[in-house]
Amino acid sequence: MAERAAALGAPDKLAFLLSLVPYLIDQVRVTVAEAAEHFGTTPEQMRKAVTLIAMSGTPGADGTYTHETLFDIDWDDFEERDIIRFRAAPMEERPRFSAREAAALLAGLQRVAALPSFAARVDILELMAKLARGASDAPVALAVRPGEQAGIHGMLVDAVAAGRRVRIDYVTTRGERQVRDVDPIRVEGIDDAWYLRGWCLTREAERTFLLDRVASVEVLGEAEAHTSEAADDALFQGDADDELVELALPVTALPLLADYRGADDTVRIDGDRAIVSLRIAHPGILGRVAARVAGAVEVLGPPSARSAVLDWARAAIAAQGTDPA
Amino acid sequence: MAAAPRKVPVEERLFSLVLALLATEQGLTKAEILSTVTGYAHRYASQADRANLERQFERDKEELRDLGVPLETLDAPGAEGDTKLQRYRIPPDRYQLPDDITFTPEEYALLRLAGQVWREGSLSADTRRALTKLQGLGVRIDDTVIGVAPRIRTRDDAHEPLQAAIDRGLQVTFPYLKPGVTVAEERLVSPLALVFHEGRWHLHGHDDGVDAPRTFLLRRIVGPVTTLKSPATRRTDPEVAARVLDELARLWQATTACVRPRPGSEADVVLRNRAGTEEAAGEPGGEAALVVRTTDLDILADELTAFGADVVVLEPPALRDAVLARWQRVVAAHG
Repeated sequence: MAERAAALGAPDKLAFLLSLVPYLIDQVRVTVAEAAEHFGTTPEQMRKAVTLIAMSGTPGADGTYTHETLFDIDWDDFEERDIIRFRAAPMEERPRFSAREAAALLAGLQRVAALPSFAARVDILELMAKLARGASDAPVALAVRPGEQAGIHGMLVDAVAAGRRVRIDYVTTRGERQVRDVDPIRVEGIDDAWYLRGWCLTREAERTFLLDRVASVEVLGEAEAHTSEAADDALFQGDADDELVELALPVTALPLLADYRGADDTVRIDGDRAIVSLRIAHPGILGRVAARVAGAVEVLGPPSARSAVLDWARAAIAAQGTDPA
Repeated sequence: MAAAPRKVPVEERLFSLVLALLATEQGLTKAEILSTVTGYAHRYASQADRANLERQFERDKEELRDLGVPLETLDAPGAEGDTKLQRYRIPPDRYQLPDDITFTPEEYALLRLAGQVWREGSLSADTRRALTKLQGLGVRIDDTVIGVAPRIRTRDDAHEPLQAAIDRGLQVTFPYLKPGVTVAEERLVSPLALVFHEGRWHLHGHDDGVDAPRTFLLRRIVGPVTTLKSPATRRTDPEVAARVLDELARLWQATTACVRPRPGSEADVVLRNRAGTEEAAGEPGGEAALVVRTTDLDILADELTAFGADVVVLEPPALRDAVLARWQRVVAAHG
């Protein structure tokens, strides 16, 4: 579990304190180090939290805090031996989940339950029912239903687990068919799309392949082990060789371009039009961008890109057996 | 009690408030809370600070409710709505997790895996707090790694305000760009559920502008969501989300199109890998055609337009026209 980030807000800190109290009472006697490890926090943070709790309590009948209404810990154990032991506690309840917390976990479970390796697990349904019952209010309306997985997904997951090299028949974003030999590193799912991250022997570099674009998979011999150097977010790096193209589109349609935008793209707002510079691999992608906004995108330049888009659209119309407009 | 004033951290004030309200059976009035509870009491003596302190208390109440702490407000008999006489309490039976709810290490591992699905935004924060509460139950962490969960992004700006509006039962307005059109239109909606289907987030709600239920794509909410003060005209219920998903699945099963990709092309590979795609029953002498499924022909039209000359759209005629119109607009803009 990752270290608890230092800059958590008050809601997280409160949830931590409310969860820590019943834990410490249940443990009866626990070292600071052990408790810190259990909650994925540092010993210093744990000491700070215990000190805060030990000085808290409930106002008594006359409205003042007294020994009878305060948490009481064994201070000698705590200060000299780093051991937490409560002698008295005005509160020991285990908090319920909020409706939103339960909803987030339930929807996450729906995603996990749809994975082939979890498909036959009835215990997930029981777990979901238990989680909903443990919420302080009906979980907010949130649900996910992932799509089915193609057969190649299972083959690639197995290849990763078994350390097998694979040969994939792949169609690139330029529309070219290529056969690549890959030592798989992992299979990743983002939204409803799946990606194979692996060491591409053909290119001698780490590459990401979209499973949608894999026509077939052949399992070869043993793979060499590679550790991934790329962060999660490096999936969609633009290629510096790609042509820089300038587009105009309605400002309101700008969010629809999110998938194609790179870090170094520039956007200029001119009234209700946005002028965007993007790196684009080929006219087919430009056509795809134009399609996003039902044809309201205009390629401003360079002229070669403008005419490529025009030719691309005319060819598409001609292929339908209709006269080009 | 006259200790030197010290700055009480927010979490200590909120923690003390929870302790005080859990311990009281008949409830505490606002004055009792502000004059005794740690974090308020040291500021209570100052008349000048009183209004700030009351506003602070209002915000703290909201904070606790957002965290799922069941805060009850009890009116004094015969003085309904009089905030001076109202009493506040947290009923322990609604606060406390029922005793029979426990989690095995394996279940805990599954829940941690489920939590990995969210890595950003409010769903990730909600998950983090839920996992903290699970840790409080003392479940031993199982070392067995049961894999890495796929992740679902919640990048749409509309996601968080819509979730909050559903949570609070309030109406919203937003500019919506319907598939196939180029001009956004302002909608007035009572939001009921957020569902993820076919790789996209959808909002289901009652469109109060046309007085009918509608499902919107979050991607096509192209401007800020404004949360109104007016309550939603329909109440959500726990079954709404599942019902909407079932409807979308039925629609997806029933809405088919017939297309002919150029063999071996990008369109051919991608459309064959698409969930639900089947080979079309052979036309006499025709090339292989595919039956593809969608929940919305306009969205499918956007996707097919992208394949250009690599795809021939055969059926239905409305889809064929929609795709042709998109290409013709591209021609008109660049000719």
